[in-house]
Amino acid sequence: MEIDKNKCVGCGNCHPLCPMGAISLDTDGKSVVNQDKCVECSTCYRVLRDERYPPAIVGGIRTVLSAFSLDYVSEVDVCPTGALTPPELEYPRNLRAAFSDPTVVHAGTGVGGRGTEEIKTNDITGRLKAGEAGIVIELGRPGTGAHFRDIQKVAQSLIPLNPHFEEFNPVTLLMTDTKTGKIRDEVLDEKVLSAIIEVKTTLEMIPEYLKTLESIQGDLDAVFSVGVASKCNPDGSVPHQKWVADAGYMASPNGKTNLGLGRPLFKEAGQ
Amino acid sequence: MTNTLHRQGTPEELKGDYVIFTSIAKEIKPGSAPQIHEFLKICNKYGPVNIGSSKYGSVLQDDVEFNDLITHLKDGSTSGAVFTDVETLQKVVADLAEANLGISINISGLLEGAHECCNKSGIQRHSVEQSLGFWGATDRLPERDVLEVNTLCGHGMVSFNYIRKMMDQVKMRRLTPKQAAHILGKCCECSVFNTERAEKLLARVLE
Repeated sequence: MEIDKNKCVGCGNCHPLCPMGAISLDTDGKSVVNQDKCVECSTCYRVLRDERYPPAIVGGIRTVLSAFSLDYVSEVDVCPTGALTPPELEYPRNLRAAFSDPTVVHAGTGVGGRGTEEIKTNDITGRLKAGEAGIVIELGRPGTGAHFRDIQKVAQSLIPLNPHFEEFNPVTLLMTDTKTGKIRDEVLDEKVLSAIIEVKTTLEMIPEYLKTLESIQGDLDAVFSVGVASKCNPDGSVPHQKWVADAGYMASPNGKTNLGLGRPLFKEAGQ
Repeated sequence: MTNTLHRQGTPEELKGDYVIFTSIAKEIKPGSAPQIHEFLKICNKYGPVNIGSSKYGSVLQDDVEFNDLITHLKDGSTSGAVFTDVETLQKVVADLAEANLGISINISGLLEGAHECCNKSGIQRHSVEQSLGFWGATDRLPERDVLEVNTLCGHGMVSFNYIRKMMDQVKMRRLTPKQAAHILGKCCECSVFNTERAEKLLARVLE
């Protein structure tokens, strides 16, 4: 994101809105975006209503009021002069938007933002079958963001476990080799709001993956969220829960449930 | 919609927080718009606190009306709605099961509640995903109430600082908790932000 300094009046409304804390007041009294921190999510641009006031008038009123030690307090969800300006993004910076802005549909997956279909369409795709487990590691969320070099670090730590990285996943599509977890060099310094490493494995391997993630977590400057998924047993029970509990972890009482209403329903061999 | 998975809260608080959403498999994307429209109409009938689509935004946003939303949604659009009690959700699920739309439908919320809805509607849940929490540099995470509000948005678009600002505005009585929750909800593009839960969390600063 960029801020048009000819329009900005330094009201600061956009500062707290930024999920990465990338906007601050510059020495000239106008707001400025730290381009290293900005992940191009465009939240500031979308949420703040553009009041389209002439910058000279708003600036003049603010100056006069400040002479009397008074503040010009605008509504909290407006940019009085429409100073926020989304730039044209080129590769690799445009990856920031592809992973951080949910209104941008990723060209490789057809899904908005960093998302993937995960178990959400498992009733139709059969992405996870009986005996299999899905492990999703979302780096950067909540609230810290993540660089691809950290994302690569986590992906590479999993390699000894012989992971199957999900093909239709935005992170996998950036790997030069899924056998090594190596991500393209030119994107390693790019930062995103979050990115999801998605692995398919067997239920028995869940403890090994969790142990590996436990061992690497201290090496990262970002937080990550971990999720585990599986296809329900014919009696409706959830097979991954035993393996998670046996490994000494507690699964959340809430989660996602695919209701199985998709058609045609995927049929496994032998069903 | 990916990470409605990591919504935080006590089991008691989570009883008031259910998201129901569609996800359209690539295989059935062509021609799926009428089913998505029907899904949203069924949800809307039961008065969700939020409803919309990641591509066109939620009804909390200034320029989005429900009927316009329906008109604009195209094949493959991911859509969702938020309900605050399992009884209403159960009615929605029953209607959706009867409508037999053929698109994948998911519930994000207490697994027990979702399972109950399935059982009462005569359907068997297919797959389940659960959170194992936050790992890594967790010293960078904010205070508990802020985290609970932040995780109400599936993509983490509601910043910690904006939540704190709204808490201040409520504390100074410049905004009511309801107004502040509505403003925060506008940050969430895919309509999974639960304004009623956010309102309760924001009201705590007045206690």
